[in-house]
Amino acid sequence: MSETENMIVLEAVEKVYPGSTAPAVERLDMTIPKGEIVMLIGPSGCGKTTTLKMVNRLIEPTSGRIILDGEDVTDVNGDLLRRKIGYVIQQGGLFPHFSIADNIGVVPKMLGWDKNKIRERADELLHLVGLEPSTYRDRYPRQLSGGQQQRVGVARALAADPPVMLMDEPFGAIDPITRDRLQDEFLEIQRTVGKTICFVTHDLQEAVKLGDRIAVFATGGRLAQYDDPDTVLTHPADDFVSDFVGGGAAVRRLSLLELSRLELHPVETDVAAVGNQNGTPVAEVDGAGRPVSWRHLPDRDAAGTALVTVPLSGTVYDAVDVMLDGSASLVAVVDDEGLPQGVLHWNDLVAGLKTRERER
Amino acid sequence: MTALDIQPGVPTPTEKAGKSSGGGFLGVIRANYDLLVAPIIVVVGLLLTYLYISAQNLDTIEARALEPANVLSQLGQHLLLTLYSTVLVLVIAVPIGIALSRPGARRVQGPVLALGGFAQALPPFGVLLLLGFWEFGIRSAVIGLTLAALLPVLRNTVVGLQQVDQSLIEAARGMGMSSRQTLFSVEIPLAVPVIVAGLRVALVLNVGTATLATYIGAGGLGELVQQALRLNRINLLFVSGAIIAALALLIDWLAGVAERAIVARSG
Repeated sequence: MSETENMIVLEAVEKVYPGSTAPAVERLDMTIPKGEIVMLIGPSGCGKTTTLKMVNRLIEPTSGRIILDGEDVTDVNGDLLRRKIGYVIQQGGLFPHFSIADNIGVVPKMLGWDKNKIRERADELLHLVGLEPSTYRDRYPRQLSGGQQQRVGVARALAADPPVMLMDEPFGAIDPITRDRLQDEFLEIQRTVGKTICFVTHDLQEAVKLGDRIAVFATGGRLAQYDDPDTVLTHPADDFVSDFVGGGAAVRRLSLLELSRLELHPVETDVAAVGNQNGTPVAEVDGAGRPVSWRHLPDRDAAGTALVTVPLSGTVYDAVDVMLDGSASLVAVVDDEGLPQGVLHWNDLVAGLKTRERER
Repeated sequence: MTALDIQPGVPTPTEKAGKSSGGGFLGVIRANYDLLVAPIIVVVGLLLTYLYISAQNLDTIEARALEPANVLSQLGQHLLLTLYSTVLVLVIAVPIGIALSRPGARRVQGPVLALGGFAQALPPFGVLLLLGFWEFGIRSAVIGLTLAALLPVLRNTVVGLQQVDQSLIEAARGMGMSSRQTLFSVEIPLAVPVIVAGLRVALVLNVGTATLATYIGAGGLGELVQQALRLNRINLLFVSGAIIAALALLIDWLAGVAERAIVARSG
């Protein structure tokens, strides 16, 4: 870790609640590099939320030190500290008596920003989270759907452009479809803002999808494993983690494999290639070159097989999903313009996927 | 909560739109037609009373007692008693209620509320008479009325602050609001509807109880009742009863409209 700077460092942080002998969080050492998303996950009562709240000192640690961007913040004024850290909670936690713009402006107002600057910032952030400012800025939270409220919650946390964001199960109470979309948007936003994010979740799927690293907490406030998602899934540190990750690990790993990293089979669009013997499927394309149906498939009746596509930016998980959905044993992988880049066969999944060396 | 830079008195498009869509006093009435029931009953009742009395032959005592100047001055005293005691309830019970809801004061909350319940259980008439031993006049009447109406506001302030969604307080603290800022910009605004409901109860309680203030020389509409009973004038008793009932209904109605206006504003 010579290149990357550590944004959050927890040194021997421990929390013992008054009147209890067992620690809620046991002597914890953890470093979070700048610009990464760290997912805190574990069963209820494992201390993941306590850990999150100790970072901004909503909960005061019993012992240990918290270092934020090189500065020891264990004893600084908690209120001033929290104004420099974004905070998102379940369902957004928007103030019902504040308009959307005023909700977003809470922290800038406390920091003494000029009124016009606050308004401009609110508009800018509404835009960033995909809500039209002129429509939403004067509305009240109750006039928004749960997903929209959560977007505003994220915008509010970003208002004063804090380097660090803490998120406490932000998508926990949202229906699965909306949650999936919010997660995608969240990753999109993170790509532009590049914050250091601490994210509490109880959903392993979410942890694998969003996290650069996953911290698995065990009952009793012990950090059982702190690794990148792939390692947590494939090499659980102990029995607790392997139990927690469960039997679905192999399937979950699929969502970590990006299609762009795979060695795909070639695909032909030329009519002349119909009937070839080298096993290359031939697709019929429309005027723009997008595949519409199969002309020729090796060892199979092309007319009886639906042509399904998956974007190159997706993962193997997405590819499996469309194959199951379309009852097709192969899927065409297409680029942003919809042009075919290759195919993935069902058999590839069990035969072992070939990954290309990452071009970096 | 945005302070718009508009000159007072100059109607802006938003202000106009607000009035037609439920803001303001008239807007509330327009949006809630059920609020028209009480004033109609009051007007019809007073009209019938007036028609009945006009048809009666009043003797000099009755006529003098029912002179508009006399009734109005007693009405004025009555309203002042109500106003003083309600304002006193407001400035005593709301701060105590807020103090009781602070994390440090949770332990004394129960005993203090019990004390409030005790004050409420005391019959107001008895309290007023006891205070009369100390001093005759408006001052003791106001103290008695205040004591009797303290509990609803105290309890509603505590309950109103308790029912504020804990996650909102956490969100406020998590964004760096001090506990004081959280109290004034999140907790109290969200508790206002419940506190106002308590104030409405106190107000109506005071309007009724102020009728008894006459027994310790503090005047009010009770004067008319007392006179009617003492001199055995049924017509007078009937009219004073009607006026007191009408006043109580009217005050309750006004408080109700104000309450809805406030609730509509604070979302």
